[in-house]
Amino acid sequence: MTNKKIVYKPVDPEIEELALHHGGTQEATLEVLKDLDAKNNLNSVTITETARALHLPAHEAYGMATFYSMLSLEERKKVLRVCDGPVCWLKKASNQLSVNSEWQNKVGEDFTVERTSCLGLCDRAPAVLVEDEQAGPVEAQNAAKVCEGWRGVQTDYSTPRKGEVRVMTALIGKVNPDEIESALEHGLYDGLKKALQSDPTAVLAEVESSGLQGRGGAGFPVGRKWRFVASEKRTPRYIVCNADESEPLIFKDRVLMDTNPHQLLEGITIAGYACGASEAWIYIRGEYEYQARRLERAIEQAEAKNLLGENILGSSFSFKIHVHRGAGAYICGEETALIESLEGKRGEPRLRPPYPPTYGFRGQPTAVNNVESFCAVPHIVKNGAEWWRNLTDDPTPGTKVYMVLGHVKNPGLFEAPFGLTLREIINDFGGGMLPGSTFNFALCGGAAGTIVPPALVDAHIDYSSGPLKGVTRDIKAMEKRWTQVISMGAGSFLICDQTVSPVAFLRELLHFFAAESCGKCTPCRVGTWRSLEILNRLVSGQGQQGDTDELKTLAVLMQDSSFCGLGQSVPIPMKSVLTHFGAEFAKAELVK
Amino acid sequence: MVNITINGQSIQAEAGQTVLQAAQAHGIEVPTLCYHKDLNPTGNCRMCIVEVKGGRFLQAACVTPVWEGMEIQTHSEKVTKDRKLTLELMLANHPQDCITCDVSGECELQDLAYEYKASAPEWGSKGTRYPVNSDPNPFIRVDMNRCILCRRCVSACAEIQVRDVWGVAKRGFDEIIVAGAGTTMLEARCESCGQCMAYCPTGALSNKMNYGTARAHQVTKVTTTCSYCGVGCQFDLLVKNKKVIGVQSNPNSPVNGMALCVKGRYGYDYIHHPERLTKPKVRRYLLEGKKKPVISEQWAVDSGQWDWVETEWDKALDIVADKLATTRKNYGADSIGVLTSAKCTNEENYLMNKLARQVIGTNNIDHCARL
Repeated sequence: MTNKKIVYKPVDPEIEELALHHGGTQEATLEVLKDLDAKNNLNSVTITETARALHLPAHEAYGMATFYSMLSLEERKKVLRVCDGPVCWLKKASNQLSVNSEWQNKVGEDFTVERTSCLGLCDRAPAVLVEDEQAGPVEAQNAAKVCEGWRGVQTDYSTPRKGEVRVMTALIGKVNPDEIESALEHGLYDGLKKALQSDPTAVLAEVESSGLQGRGGAGFPVGRKWRFVASEKRTPRYIVCNADESEPLIFKDRVLMDTNPHQLLEGITIAGYACGASEAWIYIRGEYEYQARRLERAIEQAEAKNLLGENILGSSFSFKIHVHRGAGAYICGEETALIESLEGKRGEPRLRPPYPPTYGFRGQPTAVNNVESFCAVPHIVKNGAEWWRNLTDDPTPGTKVYMVLGHVKNPGLFEAPFGLTLREIINDFGGGMLPGSTFNFALCGGAAGTIVPPALVDAHIDYSSGPLKGVTRDIKAMEKRWTQVISMGAGSFLICDQTVSPVAFLRELLHFFAAESCGKCTPCRVGTWRSLEILNRLVSGQGQQGDTDELKTLAVLMQDSSFCGLGQSVPIPMKSVLTHFGAEFAKAELVK
Repeated sequence: MVNITINGQSIQAEAGQTVLQAAQAHGIEVPTLCYHKDLNPTGNCRMCIVEVKGGRFLQAACVTPVWEGMEIQTHSEKVTKDRKLTLELMLANHPQDCITCDVSGECELQDLAYEYKASAPEWGSKGTRYPVNSDPNPFIRVDMNRCILCRRCVSACAEIQVRDVWGVAKRGFDEIIVAGAGTTMLEARCESCGQCMAYCPTGALSNKMNYGTARAHQVTKVTTTCSYCGVGCQFDLLVKNKKVIGVQSNPNSPVNGMALCVKGRYGYDYIHHPERLTKPKVRRYLLEGKKKPVISEQWAVDSGQWDWVETEWDKALDIVADKLATTRKNYGADSIGVLTSAKCTNEENYLMNKLARQVIGTNNIDHCARL
């Protein structure tokens, strides 16, 4: 029996100092834990000390230390994280389970090899993360080179593809992302200057009438969200930029931040001005350390030029931007989970309502928007809502950063107006299918997107799950539209040829969701796990009769009953693949 | 007032109420598991899901506020089907040992499984993932295999006892309830109040002291007031074969609700303790009316003058009254002091106060709670 006499001991001075360095409040938890992890010193004792230093119960800190995948209580050497996402799986076309050991054998004793959910380097697949450094494309056979510092090949997006309309990506390769002078030369911050000369309400009205829809995937009108925040009487109000780009297939925010950080800062600052906010946080996923540092550098430069900070450009508007790093959790891309994480808690979604515009970060009115949404704002303010609307004839205004991946000739990223079809994305922008490849299906939107068969390549792509009037939505109409309109999601399209089995592919997706479910609600926690178990069985030739039906049942349950958008959207690829490729599943069921 | 419809029945709900509160206020049953009226709702078990007309997803009744014109179905086909499936997901990884489980018969998971005819599916770990009886504390038996991650223990510890021992660790399917930073409960500052156990809907946290001694239907519950202090907490004594085998929270207790302290909940073993005094005892010299001997004198010890001797109440009280009267007469009323006990009721303390001030005539009265 443990019956230790409790003797008061002051907090470990080293941890106390660390805690104070990061602000000394609960919000510092993740940062302190990350520092301890970097020193290979994360264990029950140091976690308890961290909690004491931050005046928290020990379980809060422990809950975090075990929640975020980048932290580990086990002793590690240098960490090499091998991407386990579906795009890397497709590139390697090997059994994912053996990849870690393959790497471990090749990198030798200096490294600890870990699997990780998608690294956001889908255009550089197969990818790994060597400590903080992104690398790709790199195969296990190049491990020795990677150990010596080789990081693969950077993707270059400086030349537009035929048919592109570049707005947010216009300065890729032209502007030096680390020099504010270069940014100013290219007209960055002109939008902010123009905004500051007009009234915040006028700026808000401009963004509202542009019809800009949130680029995270849900397509909620940005202006309307800002209006909610601006009309809240309570201050301070906050802006949060969601740069926790953790969904497999999506890497546009990384490219936007990497190539033109000032564009993002400008957009966030304009949002702050329009909403009457005083501070902003960029919540960037922990795997984007390189981009986080670039943003911090940009913030410093902008502050030095008085484009951020106190009384910006002599106006009465003061605004600060902070960079907050995550530590490996897809669920933190859900806005309320992100806010929880920002507050130094486990990244579990909150009950909604209240929504962040009324009760967000620190309980204050908060606008949470995606990186790409903010990046569009300076251009709208600078050129006007009318111009933005006229970029396309499509009902959804403006341009969008698309990503095309998989078995096409020219995978990567491009910017085009709304109104594309999958056929155009593959043929006009992706350069067509690879020689010898026939289009089999595409995963559209993101990992939680729709799986589209050849019959639907000419369907319209849009925010089909976008907001209808009020909060109510007609389920029947939605489902009907899924077969007619392909959901834009976050704008990524993974094209798979005849060699890719839809069953094995769905297994990869569920592998991701099961690893990233936060565990809060029963349907998602057990439903994803059970679905993966069935899919593992189907893929390995152990299928049993009734497996497909059980998958369908689980999909319905997760969609109807899950707590948050993660569990509710896992069934989107499940249902669509089961609808369109039912025969493949039936075949897998019967293999003995 | 907000006008809503539940299962076709028009209802006036109060603004700010949840669907669950509105339903319960009108006698409409909605099953719950992670919800408890004493705790902040978390909405994570998904048992109380209901269908709201026009809603894209099912809503958890415990956390969904009512709005004007809301049309709710609490037992539609879709809802009951999903509830059953959710229960099956819980049961898949829950031990299938209700037959030997201590809380069988008062287990909320078992009741719901029965109501929804949910049985454990063929797959799942069936509760073999964690060590049984995993915490060394003397009072609470921890078996995380039986845990359905409703988090009531976490809320009870944080909100009722404000001790914050329990927390949630890891994520997804690996999620588990832990004490402190993955330590034992006592190391995590547990003060053994047992609130977590009282709020646990399953057998994950059960009573270690009487584990395996009785099922719910085998005991008689006797509501009583705790004798340890003057707060007046009430609880149920669990009586089997005329013996008290345990204490259980009585949710209807006016003073304390479900809450109890370590003494009230676990300090019941004195009742049938072989060394418990059931009759008064006095020193032999007092009983024999002799003079107080000096303890250092060997004859007094040898002749048993100092021994405690069992006697009747009347005799014992006579001796006390006589001693008090003699002392008061010889040395004055202020030579006597009265110290009463926090274990006594207010009324008993009041009477002691009267005895001291009016019968004995001294203001020398105090109370152990000052200590």
